Amino acid sequence: MRRYLEPLLFFVALAAAWEYGVKWFEVRRYLLPPLSAVAVAAWSARIDLVEHGWVTLQEIVAGLFAAIVAGAALGLMIDASAMARRTVYPLVMALQSLPKIALAPLMIVWLGYGFASKVAATFLFAFFPIVIATLGGLESTPAHLLEHFRALGATPWATFRRLRLPSALPALADGVRVASPLAVVGAIVGEFVGAERGLGQLMLAASAQSRTDLMFASILCVTALALVLYAIVERLARLVWWRGRATS
Amino acid sequence: MPSSNDWRGWCGGVAVQPPELAAPGIELRGVTTRFGDHGGVTAHQNVSFEVRAGEFVSILGPSGCGKSTLVRVIAGLVRADVGETFVQGQRVDAPRKDVGVVFQTSNLLPWLTVTENLTLGAVLRHQAPLPARVAELTETLGLTGFERHYPHQLSGGMRQRTALGQILLLEPTVLLLDEPFGALDALTRDRLNVELLRLWEARRQTVLLVTHSIAESVFLSDRVLVMSERPGTVTHAIAIDLPRPRHSRSVKADPAFGRYVTDLSRLMGVS
Repeated sequence: MRRYLEPLLFFVALAAAWEYGVKWFEVRRYLLPPLSAVAVAAWSARIDLVEHGWVTLQEIVAGLFAAIVAGAALGLMIDASAMARRTVYPLVMALQSLPKIALAPLMIVWLGYGFASKVAATFLFAFFPIVIATLGGLESTPAHLLEHFRALGATPWATFRRLRLPSALPALADGVRVASPLAVVGAIVGEFVGAERGLGQLMLAASAQSRTDLMFASILCVTALALVLYAIVERLARLVWWRGRATS
Repeated sequence: MPSSNDWRGWCGGVAVQPPELAAPGIELRGVTTRFGDHGGVTAHQNVSFEVRAGEFVSILGPSGCGKSTLVRVIAGLVRADVGETFVQGQRVDAPRKDVGVVFQTSNLLPWLTVTENLTLGAVLRHQAPLPARVAELTETLGLTGFERHYPHQLSGGMRQRTALGQILLLEPTVLLLDEPFGALDALTRDRLNVELLRLWEARRQTVLLVTHSIAESVFLSDRVLVMSERPGTVTHAIAIDLPRPRHSRSVKADPAFGRYVTDLSRLMGVS
């Protein structure tokens, strides 16, 4: 009971503080509209919000999915090949420290104003944490288990499939957990830089018209998207329940 | 089956001897192993001994005398710098199928159930263990009812039984035990030692047990080898002449048991 009641009361109080605080202090509407005005704006723009939200959601899911597949694949490749570790790995480390936001305009130049450039921006934000997590996971296979597999005469493939891969999965899940909010950032940044559709574009349009209420409605929509995405990732990460269950 | 006298000349006229007569289970000749670049640390030096086929031998030694490394050399996991190692008369240069190793860490995979862990070794060797054999071993090891449990749901003793079962299912001729019960409490450890002895008496594998418990080594072994501090070498070999089958209570009450423990303690500089 307390588990649900206390947060509920807290958020109701927060909403009330917003609603009445704004009126009490006579804050101008273009700076911070009351919550009720945001709700009204969201309701009247509901079709826009759903349509633009759907576009943004597709960008996020496509970019994140591509980042998981490519990131895990590159991680596996660097792990498997000593040459890739000497050549590709330093490049990945260098690119990782590059601010991805700086590449967003380039994506527009290369891929245009449409869907592809946003997926690319999302991908760039989500990709590197997944590569690093995959590599970390593969490297963290306990040495005593590797020795045990060697004593059992396991082939390299069997050692990979039955030991190293399952050992790496919790780390990979952590990587996806880090990457999923970044994917949302990537999609919005991509839309900010140049887009015809999407919640980021809706925010920019609302800002240009000083429609702060609509901006807040869009922000709440993105937040809701990010939360749902995070909940799904969290749920999937529970499939690798053996995280931290080392045996001794 | 020809009787043991018929072995010579059997098998198409080629002189063949049964393996238990032909070669010791384990034989080391002047084995030295060093660690680190340019041989920085010597783990053990000039170690020579043999374990006869079907014999139960323990190695007693202080921490850091290189006894665990010795197990890894015999298991083919570590290459010695000097000397030769033989198992069943064959030179060891890689892990062998007839050798089973049980380590102090139970080495179970956390994402596999007890039964899956039991059969893992067989699966890795592309053997299909008979379900009846798996069930029998589960029963013998007291794991019945826990088949679908995961390692984190087991006590330390049960984890170690599962690890032991995984190796026993492979039916190794040579069993290397590197302080297999070292991480357990004394009571569980005593109980598992009794079970180990029962299992060994049924199958008579060649066993080399590394331990630092004097009582454990006397209770279990035919012979106890004593190693010195690093760089370790075998300084004494004591035959334990206690009747078998041994039962925990009767053996430990035997005055001879106490004498062996006292002698070995003196050799190890404990008392």
